[in-house]
Amino acid sequence: MTERPVPVPDESSAPFWSAAAEHVLTVARCAQCGQFTMPPDAVCPHCHTSDPRFEFTPVSGRGTVRSWTVARQAFLPGFGDDLPFVLVDVELVEQKDLRMIGRLLDGVDADLHIGAAVILGFEDLAPGVAVPAFELL
Amino acid sequence: MSARFAASNKVAVVGYAHSQVTRRAGQPLGALAVDTARAAIADAGLRLEQIDGFVSSSLLPSAGGQAAEDGVSIVSSAWLSQHLGATPRYVAGFDGIGQITGSMAIAVNAVATGAADYVVFHRALHNPAGRYHANPMREARGLQQWTAPQGFFGPLAMIALPHNEYLQRFGASRESMAAVVVEARKNGARIPWSFWHDRPLTVGEYLSAPMLFDPVCRYDCDIPVDGVAAFVLTSAERAKDLPHRPVYIAGYAAGTPTRRRLPLHWPLDDIVEVGAETARRLWAHAGVSVGEVDLPQVYDGFSLFVWLWLEVLGLCPRGEAHRFVEFGGIDSDCPGGIPALSGGGALGNGRMHGIPQMLECYLQLARRAGERQREGATIGLACHSSPHFGGAVVYSAEAF
Repeated sequence: MTERPVPVPDESSAPFWSAAAEHVLTVARCAQCGQFTMPPDAVCPHCHTSDPRFEFTPVSGRGTVRSWTVARQAFLPGFGDDLPFVLVDVELVEQKDLRMIGRLLDGVDADLHIGAAVILGFEDLAPGVAVPAFELL
Repeated sequence: MSARFAASNKVAVVGYAHSQVTRRAGQPLGALAVDTARAAIADAGLRLEQIDGFVSSSLLPSAGGQAAEDGVSIVSSAWLSQHLGATPRYVAGFDGIGQITGSMAIAVNAVATGAADYVVFHRALHNPAGRYHANPMREARGLQQWTAPQGFFGPLAMIALPHNEYLQRFGASRESMAAVVVEARKNGARIPWSFWHDRPLTVGEYLSAPMLFDPVCRYDCDIPVDGVAAFVLTSAERAKDLPHRPVYIAGYAAGTPTRRRLPLHWPLDDIVEVGAETARRLWAHAGVSVGEVDLPQVYDGFSLFVWLWLEVLGLCPRGEAHRFVEFGGIDSDCPGGIPALSGGGALGNGRMHGIPQMLECYLQLARRAGERQREGATIGLACHSSPHFGGAVVYSAEAF
């Protein structure tokens, strides 16, 4: 059992974590304007409707690296054994400026540059709990 | 409708006090705040009975989940007022990011509208016991669920992403990063109350420090401290009767991020685009142009902010700040240099948020900087926080 913090699904996120457990990445999509939002919110940040009725829609998981860092200290439990690890700031291909942050599973020696193509991977933290991460394409 | 602040130069700073900046104060933070506020009131030539307004911000800026206990780990204006035994008409606090500029705007507005005649403005910063940002979280709820399970957590990860983005995009080096910190520590070493008094940093020391979150090392981050600063504000009219030369507030502006992001996700373009808009409003509000500012004090709680403030304020071209600083552009000892960190900043004083920037503007423009007095400084500018969340206040030695 991981000591890492596990996500606690709530009304706004339960479909996302259910899909993630099956290794499917979904992103909240506004029913009014069709734009993706990460994470969902009470109001759509694109069309500002107060009734966005977000639907978690499967996406390709492909994206490009906008920036990255190598974490050499852990401030949360459960990450100490994984140090150092890489975090990537990724722009998903589905929509301009749709961004996610996750670990890059290739390790600290990966040949990274801005614009590098990545594809989604998942880390299984516990039975029924998987969190999105990325790998170089 | 004019964009110029209707109360431009109608409110002034008339006195101050600053505690020693230490890792752990020898007295409770609340007691230090009371002593510092009393000293500021006396410095302004006033008595407690005359103080009718208290304004501050009291955020404890750690990610460690420490309790914010008033008088112990934070000090609110309500707590300070009560423990001084004051009877104010107006008490307010600012709870956004960019605490110093945000709360100064509230204080200035209070005096300008007559909500209070004499306002004590303070900031008390605390270094809690234990690891500053370590958090025992085992379950990630609310917004944290989108980032913490992936290992993206805390201000170091937050700032490392845009810092690396800047390095990669503009070809900046660790040597150019070192130049920022060495300048801040050079100036901070000259400040008697600074944690880093008499302790400048060399380029070699900077470059040999281990990385924390690449490319950020410990010296790129201000050190957590205990410390309190207090200032007294009143109207320009009342300031004429007080002992010190008043320093007027010409105007202010704060940023409001336009894009919603994951928690602590601060992409470089967000910071710079919103920051440039903040600067545009600042010049209009204060009635000055960048060329008239001879004492711009940029914020440096993380060293990246120095480059970004220089760029959004228009003090150097976009993407050029790293070279500008490395080649002496902000060298406070160089006749042609812009003294952008002459007050030592947060890197050179300790984590006092934007207080070092504000205090340097006050001391220089009031001609109270002693051995560090710079000749002819007339318009100062004090920044706090990131250009896209924080803001800046313009100070003037003359009402114009």
